[in-house]
Amino acid sequence: MDRTGTPAVELDGVIRRYGETTAVENLSLSVREGEFFTLVGPSGCGKTTTLRLIAGFEDPTRGEVRFGGESVTGVPPEDRDVGVVFQNYALFPHMTVGENVAYGLSFTDPPGGGSDAERVRELLELVDLGDMADRDPDTLSGGQQQRVAMARALAPGPDVLLLDEPMSALDAKLRERLRVQVREIQQELGITTIYVTHDQEEALAVSDRVAVMHDGTPEQVAPPRTIYREPATEFVATFVGDNNVLSGEVTAVQSDGGNDQRLADVAVGGGTLSVALDGDYSANAVSIGDRLTFCIRPERLAVDTGQNAMPATVTSAEFLGETTRVHLDWDGRELLLRTEELPEGTVTVGFDPADAHIVTAGR
Amino acid sequence: MARDFDGDSDGDDRTGGDSVASDNDKGATATASSATRERRSAIRNSVERRAIVGLAVATIALLLGIFYYPVATVFIDSVLVDGRWTGQVFVSILRDPFYLGEPARLLAGEPVGAVIEAILSPDRRLGVIGFTAYQAALSTVASVALGLPAAYLLARYEFPGRRTLRSLTILPFVLPSIMVGVGFVATFGRNGTLNAVLGALGLGEVNLLFTLEAVVIAHAFYNAPLVARVTTAAWESVDASAVETARSLGASPLRAFRDVVAPQLYPSVLMGAALTFVFTFSTFPIVLALGGFQLATVEVFVYRLIRDLEYAEAAALALIELGISLSLLYAYLRYEAKHTVRSRGIRPLPRQPLTPPSLSVRELLPRLGLAVYAVVALSVFVAPIASMVLASLSGPEGLTLANYQFLIDRQTTGASFQVQPWDAVRNSLLFGVTSLAVALPMGVVVAVLTTRDYRGRKVVDAVAMAPLAVSGIVVGLGLLRGLVFGVEVGGSRIAVGGGFAIIAAHAVAGYPFVVRTVAPGLESIDHTLVESARALGAPRARALVDIELPLVWPAVVAGAAFAFAISIGEFSATIVLASGTNQFTMPIAIERFIGRRLGPATAMGVVLLVVTSASFLLIDRLGGDDVGF
Repeated sequence: MDRTGTPAVELDGVIRRYGETTAVENLSLSVREGEFFTLVGPSGCGKTTTLRLIAGFEDPTRGEVRFGGESVTGVPPEDRDVGVVFQNYALFPHMTVGENVAYGLSFTDPPGGGSDAERVRELLELVDLGDMADRDPDTLSGGQQQRVAMARALAPGPDVLLLDEPMSALDAKLRERLRVQVREIQQELGITTIYVTHDQEEALAVSDRVAVMHDGTPEQVAPPRTIYREPATEFVATFVGDNNVLSGEVTAVQSDGGNDQRLADVAVGGGTLSVALDGDYSANAVSIGDRLTFCIRPERLAVDTGQNAMPATVTSAEFLGETTRVHLDWDGRELLLRTEELPEGTVTVGFDPADAHIVTAGR
Repeated sequence: MARDFDGDSDGDDRTGGDSVASDNDKGATATASSATRERRSAIRNSVERRAIVGLAVATIALLLGIFYYPVATVFIDSVLVDGRWTGQVFVSILRDPFYLGEPARLLAGEPVGAVIEAILSPDRRLGVIGFTAYQAALSTVASVALGLPAAYLLARYEFPGRRTLRSLTILPFVLPSIMVGVGFVATFGRNGTLNAVLGALGLGEVNLLFTLEAVVIAHAFYNAPLVARVTTAAWESVDASAVETARSLGASPLRAFRDVVAPQLYPSVLMGAALTFVFTFSTFPIVLALGGFQLATVEVFVYRLIRDLEYAEAAALALIELGISLSLLYAYLRYEAKHTVRSRGIRPLPRQPLTPPSLSVRELLPRLGLAVYAVVALSVFVAPIASMVLASLSGPEGLTLANYQFLIDRQTTGASFQVQPWDAVRNSLLFGVTSLAVALPMGVVVAVLTTRDYRGRKVVDAVAMAPLAVSGIVVGLGLLRGLVFGVEVGGSRIAVGGGFAIIAAHAVAGYPFVVRTVAPGLESIDHTLVESARALGAPRARALVDIELPLVWPAVVAGAAFAFAISIGEFSATIVLASGTNQFTMPIAIERFIGRRLGPATAMGVVLLVVTSASFLLIDRLGGDDVGF
């Protein structure tokens, strides 16, 4: 099976409409063989529809879905070699755990050539539920049910594993533990996995690559670190983690003395902030008079620093344990600050120009 | 329906191709036997893929054969007289005061003034149709009057046996109407329990038989529980906090009821009333048993015309009746679509204990009213059944089982045209089982077809549920004219036996009930269960068999019990098809016995009661709350 170079799953110009409403708008994605790929976005962004289009539960209004380079248009879900885990697990209530896991083996031989029973045992052990085969699904905890659903989806040896918010019904602690387990299983089997979640933290924690979806299209597709550090759009900047997004007119472009990085002076509110021109904007792309939108993570803002000083008043603070999230008012703009100590009254915050990331620039 | 059903050819190729590829990956040796297995599973696969389409086509074909074609022949009978197309039969019915009463003279071209004068005069003629509407209106009023206190009791009071009483409201759906007729004869007849009680009290005799009163009370027996059932459901979905809000804003309890509760009950009361009117408008066995031909409703008259072999007039009259019923139903459905507000009762109104917590007037008065109601209800609902059981057990010398013995005895003496009771029992069971074997798969397939998303679903739904609206007489007549008398196909005549026609009629009458019990169950199944099964490799039909049907199994059994009970009690179509044959069933035998030999009739009534009550228990245990009525 030499599929090097061929994406495991591709969506090419896919549109999905329901009557007047468009759920997915001109979507093109490609997921690599063995990759853990996550679709993340707020509810209604089209991520679940995208997953259902891949699974074959829905057909694209236009465009094409391809598995291993071949179109699967008109191929029903049962012939797509996908494993699906739903948010509610959808365990068959009238079957035992073992029968649930064995169900997919009635339509195909177990991969590896063993017996069905061996395969069921193997899968249940993989998800640490080796002794649960004879239990009824409704006697299991939510986390256990989720793992049975995983085992059931994996038993027939699918090419692609599709996970639709498989953890959103679980409590926070369990979710963190399970997502590590899901990632480990994925790595162990090397199975191409497409994961849908609205939880951006979860997306960053487990994925090889993340697609941030908004209004039916991906705003950015990149590895988690890139998504976090170099958000491509204002939506990505604010959806993934906390962020301070500021924009203003470029008043000067100059080179930074020490290294050969250029700086732009941006007029924001009453003051002028200096921002390093990184990445795509490092060349001559930005000139005076452009409108520049940039972001600085709250943890990159510092209290009482000389650079880019912004005198602000504390409006409220949330104690989060290891840090405190402080809401500031700077000249009518809300700023977020992450700090260990709680400032009071008026503070001056600032940032290193290199910590700012430019989201958009142009006339 | 393309989306779910398609994916035949390229789908097959893909399965084969991929599993071979993955076998090779794992280094498994491809043997000859695995190739055979592969081929066999490919055949099974393609059968499973087409199973739903096949079943759908078969069901629709069957429906065409045993319902639409026969009913269409009735239609044609009324407009094709002696080989000529004509609307004359309709015109003459509509112009005949015998059918339409005084308004018929309007259609006949008489001056409006004279007609209005005639309508206002005391000796006006209602005509058969007018009388039918009149008795239906009276029956509706009686049913609502008898049903509302029951709804009040069930929705607002807590007492031992409340749940049982509530589920008993579905019983009339399965009680054969001819059996109810027998019960009423045993109660109100000359030698009935009512006269026995009156005699014991030293009062004079009354004879309610063959009076409008008896018919109206019998209709109330049937339909008041329906009114109670739908109104109770609405009352239970009133949110207590809405009433409490009204009270806290200053409304008295009565005012809060008028402003908050009552508006939520009206649509359900109206629904109960509308259905009652439609049901009693096309009433047949009750009137035949209790009214005779002198109180003939349209349906009874259609039957009489059929007996007199006046098929064209019978067909035209039946169609006029169907038209009136359907327009009423349509008007009601239009109203319902506009007015139904399903408030989700987050917290239903609390029930009060039936024993008064204090001896104040406010606590005592409503309970006193309910006590009076209980006496009325007992005499309407319980007395007929009790009288029937009593009559079946009594003979000239007191208690006896002779009436039951008579049912089992094969009559060797009776002439061949006489109704032989054991044959009736045997036929009923035979038709019950065989029609169930047709109605159950039909109902399940239709339920599957009407709970899935595809274009044209509404049409399928309407086509499949139409038999509910068409009276048994019309179905019977259609089967008689269309299938029993034979179809000319390519020069040769194809005819089916009366027995088959009866089975077909019972299946047509029964399968909508299977649909109505199974469909809500299928509808409520989480679609991700089916999707999971399909992602695991199950074709659509396999997901139905492996996942959906096991989960709605109780509803399937309840639907089967329904269909069986309907078949056992079916009267209208059977009497049309059974006349002049030896294919009569228990209800037909009862009708024959009812005037002459009350003993065997009541004994047979008790057998029907036992069979249908057992069905009722099954329905109630397994699917009562889900039944979509």
